[in-house]
Amino acid sequence: MLNFSSALTRAAATAAVGAGLVWGSAAFAADTIKVGILHSLSGTMAISETTLKDVMLMLIEEQNKAGGLLGKKLEAVVVDPASNWPLFAEKARELISKDKVSATFGCWTSVSRKSVLPVFEELKSPLFYPVQYEGEESSEYVYYTGAAPNQQAIPAVDYLMAEGEVKRWVLAGTDYVYPRTTNKILKAYLMSKGVAEADIMINYTPFGHSDWQTIVASIKKFAGAGKKTAVVSTINGDANVPFYKELANQGIKAEDIPVVAFSVGEEELAGIDTKPLVGHLAAWNYFQSVDNEDNAAFVEKWKAFTKNPKRVSNDPMEAHVIGFKMWVKAVEKAGTTDADAVGKAIIGISVPNLSGGIATMMPNHHLTKPVLIGEVQEDGQFEIVWQTPGTVVGDAWSDYLPGSKDLISDWRAPMSCGNFNVKTGKCGGQGK
Amino acid sequence: MNLSLKSLLTAAWIVLALAVSPALAADAPALVQALGAKSFNQKIEAIKQLATSGEPQAVGVLKALAARKLYLRKSDKSVVLARKSGKQYALSRPLTGEDLGKAPKSALKKIGLNNKMRRAIKAALGAMTLLSPSEEVRAKAAAAVFKSRDPDTLEALDAALAKETKPALKIALSEARAAVILNMEAAEADRLAAIAVLKARGDRDALSVLKSVAAGKGAPATAAAEAIRDIETWLAFWSAGQNIFYGLSLGSVLLLAAIGLAITFGVMGVINMAHGEMIMIGAYVTFAVQELIRSSAPGLFDYSLFIALPLAFLLAAIVGMAIEQGVIRFLYGRPLETLLATWGVSLILQQAVRSLFGPTNREVGNPGWMSGYFELGEITLTYNRVYIMLFAFAVLALLFLVLRRTPLGLQMRAVTQNRPMAGSMGIRTGWVDALTFGLGSGIAGIAGVALSQIDNVSPNLGQSYIIDSFMVVVFGGVGNLWGTLVGAMTLGVANKFLEPYAGAVMGKILVLVFIILFIQKRPRGLFALKGRAVEA
Amino acid sequence: MSGLMLKALDRYAYLFLALIAVLAIVVPLLNLAVPETHPLHVSTYAVTLLGKYLTYALLALSIDLIWGYVGILSLGHGAFFALGGYAMGMYLMRQIGPRGVYGHPVLPDFMVFLNWKELPWFWLGFDQFWFAMVMVIAVPAGLAFIFGWFAFRSRVTGVYLSIITQALTFALMLAFFRNNMGFGGNNGLTDFKDILGFSLRTDGARAGLFIASAIALVLGFVLCRVIIHSRLGQVLVAIRDAESRTRFLGYRVESYKLFVFTLSAAMAGVAGALYVPQVGIINPGEFAPANSIEAVIWVAVGGRGTLFGPVVGAVLVNFAKTYFTAALPNVWLFALGGLFVAVTLFLPRGIIGTMQHYWHRLRAKAPDGDTPAPPPAPANAPANEPAE
Repeated sequence: MLNFSSALTRAAATAAVGAGLVWGSAAFAADTIKVGILHSLSGTMAISETTLKDVMLMLIEEQNKAGGLLGKKLEAVVVDPASNWPLFAEKARELISKDKVSATFGCWTSVSRKSVLPVFEELKSPLFYPVQYEGEESSEYVYYTGAAPNQQAIPAVDYLMAEGEVKRWVLAGTDYVYPRTTNKILKAYLMSKGVAEADIMINYTPFGHSDWQTIVASIKKFAGAGKKTAVVSTINGDANVPFYKELANQGIKAEDIPVVAFSVGEEELAGIDTKPLVGHLAAWNYFQSVDNEDNAAFVEKWKAFTKNPKRVSNDPMEAHVIGFKMWVKAVEKAGTTDADAVGKAIIGISVPNLSGGIATMMPNHHLTKPVLIGEVQEDGQFEIVWQTPGTVVGDAWSDYLPGSKDLISDWRAPMSCGNFNVKTGKCGGQGK
Repeated sequence: MNLSLKSLLTAAWIVLALAVSPALAADAPALVQALGAKSFNQKIEAIKQLATSGEPQAVGVLKALAARKLYLRKSDKSVVLARKSGKQYALSRPLTGEDLGKAPKSALKKIGLNNKMRRAIKAALGAMTLLSPSEEVRAKAAAAVFKSRDPDTLEALDAALAKETKPALKIALSEARAAVILNMEAAEADRLAAIAVLKARGDRDALSVLKSVAAGKGAPATAAAEAIRDIETWLAFWSAGQNIFYGLSLGSVLLLAAIGLAITFGVMGVINMAHGEMIMIGAYVTFAVQELIRSSAPGLFDYSLFIALPLAFLLAAIVGMAIEQGVIRFLYGRPLETLLATWGVSLILQQAVRSLFGPTNREVGNPGWMSGYFELGEITLTYNRVYIMLFAFAVLALLFLVLRRTPLGLQMRAVTQNRPMAGSMGIRTGWVDALTFGLGSGIAGIAGVALSQIDNVSPNLGQSYIIDSFMVVVFGGVGNLWGTLVGAMTLGVANKFLEPYAGAVMGKILVLVFIILFIQKRPRGLFALKGRAVEA
Repeated sequence: MSGLMLKALDRYAYLFLALIAVLAIVVPLLNLAVPETHPLHVSTYAVTLLGKYLTYALLALSIDLIWGYVGILSLGHGAFFALGGYAMGMYLMRQIGPRGVYGHPVLPDFMVFLNWKELPWFWLGFDQFWFAMVMVIAVPAGLAFIFGWFAFRSRVTGVYLSIITQALTFALMLAFFRNNMGFGGNNGLTDFKDILGFSLRTDGARAGLFIASAIALVLGFVLCRVIIHSRLGQVLVAIRDAESRTRFLGYRVESYKLFVFTLSAAMAGVAGALYVPQVGIINPGEFAPANSIEAVIWVAVGGRGTLFGPVVGAVLVNFAKTYFTAALPNVWLFALGGLFVAVTLFLPRGIIGTMQHYWHRLRAKAPDGDTPAPPPAPANAPANEPAE
């Protein structure tokens, strides 16, 4: 009987798991350290994310040329989550439990990060997230190498207020969590600076919005109130090209109504004729035009790696460069790729960034970053017109939102908490 | 954060106060040198002083600055004018034109510019060119002064007004003068007169100036408020017209996207999910053509679209015919399976473009004649939208002509209406099918050329139009081109009238709900085909 | 009923059900009881993956019921799937309780963030499992009933119906994307913790969900078989093959259609509800028309009007997707697109349909009373062709 059932089990298992190896616990070579790359290579986000996959491949290749890590070669495992959010979680699990990667570099949209977050926390594996985001989060296994709102939005608004003498604000964004949060923070911030509510216009559009006639016209109308007006744009990805084309065609010049964008970088501008857009602004922590030797060398290598002399670099790429360097340093320091050991080692690690400063991993898993404001040039690059004198520490929990102003994050022992409430002295949010 | 910015600015002001006040007496060369200062505010001060210095070459220098031709020579930190000559730059002194030899790019640093400086340069140039012999320049100058409202230009304005003979320019100058007057201390009577001038102008710019006055006190504020009311009523009237234009423009985009589908789906009954990718092919042809022109014949750029149109038609038609011959041919009579196959084809085409051209957006520029806008009353009409509208109608008219007046059209109609009968009359039905599908795809291709002017050129381009296209064709009535036209325009206008009230998202949802309800009322669309074929 | 049951299930059906039953027992067993180092161990990753396939199979089954047997091609069935998923997601969100990042005892994180002070009315009751389960069925079924009541009464058929179902799911997608709707906007509902008191992050809970999915699939399959082998089923096939004639014979075609459409939506809702806890997120992307089209494609690949086919198609296509996205991340769309084209061209009846076709041909030479009515080739189903 026992024999029979085990035979049945075996037969059924063979049938069920059919093509077997695809999802079985595949054997893996122990002489390499695997690095997962979780970026969409198809679907709507492929536009932005494919570049990040390429930059990771370049970094890994370079590290291997320099002798690998802990005496082993690094091996990139690339998967395509196809801009499909549940698929992100599935692929994350595949990378960690099947491919046994030591760290994963990936995600772009907030929802993809939210989707994979439980997986990385459950399986205790580090994720490096390279894109500027809305904050309001700090996970033990996620390292946020992009900007938090206080490292991008607030300095940009400060700049416009001081330098541009802007008195009236249009906050235009795509309807999802990053623009919603950023605009909420900005509104609270602007009002704390004495801007009247009537001088703030907030507008949301769906993803991929392509007909901007009405909205551009309403921006023009809003701007015609005798006060200097600026647009703060958190418009996402694809919708930007038609937006800027409409701005240019309706003759809105940067001198009259400047648009400062937080999601438009060199990659996005590569799809637009920028001659009519000269002077519009973007706030990032890195621009390709940053003038220093490290960056020049990086851009050179990048062009050679992609075999395309016109290829541009951008801010999320730099975030991956920093994140990767930090992970390598932390693994070397810990002497192992174990997630918890690396997690302990990585806090406080500093590596040079590409904008000529130092990036340090803070206890809240965010970085120190300089904030740069650039103006769009005719050649699709940015000219830096202002930058913070030093670096700014990323703030996971915004001070301008009622729900999070009392929260801090510190992943060092003994606190080891992502949402510590300084008022109640307890870990776990508002804790009512 | 904010603190540091502020302290930085204060520091800059102190430096300014120290550095610039002696410069008041300084001569033009020193001012030009000051354009190379580190702080933007110092540069702006230099621009302003240069404008009032009476230096005859100031206009040229400021223009060179705006055109980014002024550089700082790294060796001696002097401001030079540089022109690209070969691999190097030819240098000269900005004011005198004295030749300074050549230098490589690495020896130079471009003088930085920001929006505030651009504004200052425009205002300065405006004030300096009010007396220019060219009418065009004078008109531009008046507009620039209207915008800058710089009290220092009042003198120049008065001089220009006294000299000006053209009535239109006289009005422009007096409007500029009114705007300046309202920006400075002036007698109440002058201010009231200025308000009257702006009220007569009656557009959004005038409104903007008046609003800043209405915030004050006294008789001018009341007068301004009254003028604002008048202008706003006037503008509200026009904004309805503006909405119609936006609606028709959106409608013509929908029409362009849907026309090809009206043939492949409407006439042939193929649920063509690869339709969007045909549009994408057209857009990429435009990109390729422009890229070629940029590298080999930049002078032809304005004609790029005309070169792209036939090529896009041909390529999309060929791809379409290949799909028809390779796949769809075997599926006639099983229309729902065409959905499956063409979905597969669309995935393949998307990936092919992604592999060939990369996943990122590609740049397709607007030719000069498609850029900018003109004003009709208070309606802003952008050239690209107007041309796309005309183009959509032209394509539709041409298609009608082909279907009604050519032998091919006759055969197409015969085959779709009664295939066996057409076959027995000697028509090669298989070949006609291929041509019809090719025609539909080709039209989608030229739609892609037009849509590349307003939208992204990326592998996802097709996906963003496919659903809208199906909605338009079904709403209008499958198999009826008039239906497609009316459907597209109705949906476009409805969308644009809803948008200001409901927002872009709700507007779109309401339109979709409207389509669903409408189909309940007329289950075969706006212009339903009648007769026995319907029940087949 | 039991007689009908016997009639409905032939030996292939029993074989099929047995296969799923074995799967439902063996896979969790191999996951939980066999040590990880053992070659027969099935990883947790594989369990959730297979569980996901099973829910997709149920969705495909629900589409086959209306497309294969009544000729209604819904290009918006993903909407019902997603609504069921949202109902389940809302229950799971309420189970998080004070463990959200803001630590609010009742409100989910995204509501705290939006400064909402209390739960909106449509979230009430979702802390109760039974209520959520009722809603999993009632919401999709209710929407399908209202939609179908209008559409079938107005005699919207064929491609018009397909396109307005697509409009329906598209409109719902846009609506759910709005943050103000109260369903979490683009981010949807995620970071679930417990279901019925069991942590979702344990292998036991995953195995349970896997078994539940298998049971749901079995029940759905039996239900579909019973329906199509009843008198009702014969009327349905009649409607598919000649709607007008059936109407002239005195049948109230719209009532039949409405009943099956509503039932199918409820099945899709259940599939969605089982899908969500296994993948860990529900967001408006599930409403995307492309998802619904893909689900239709699973049915076509497997074989329309066979009931086995959709199950096979859903598992096969999704397995291919899983495999290709990891093995050929840069070019997998070529493979998938090529698969769709090849199946349409070379296996017009789908995989199972083709197998059945040749099997029946073989059988036709030696007639056997045991054979069920041969599923007609889709070519004979003109009821849903567009007007020409």
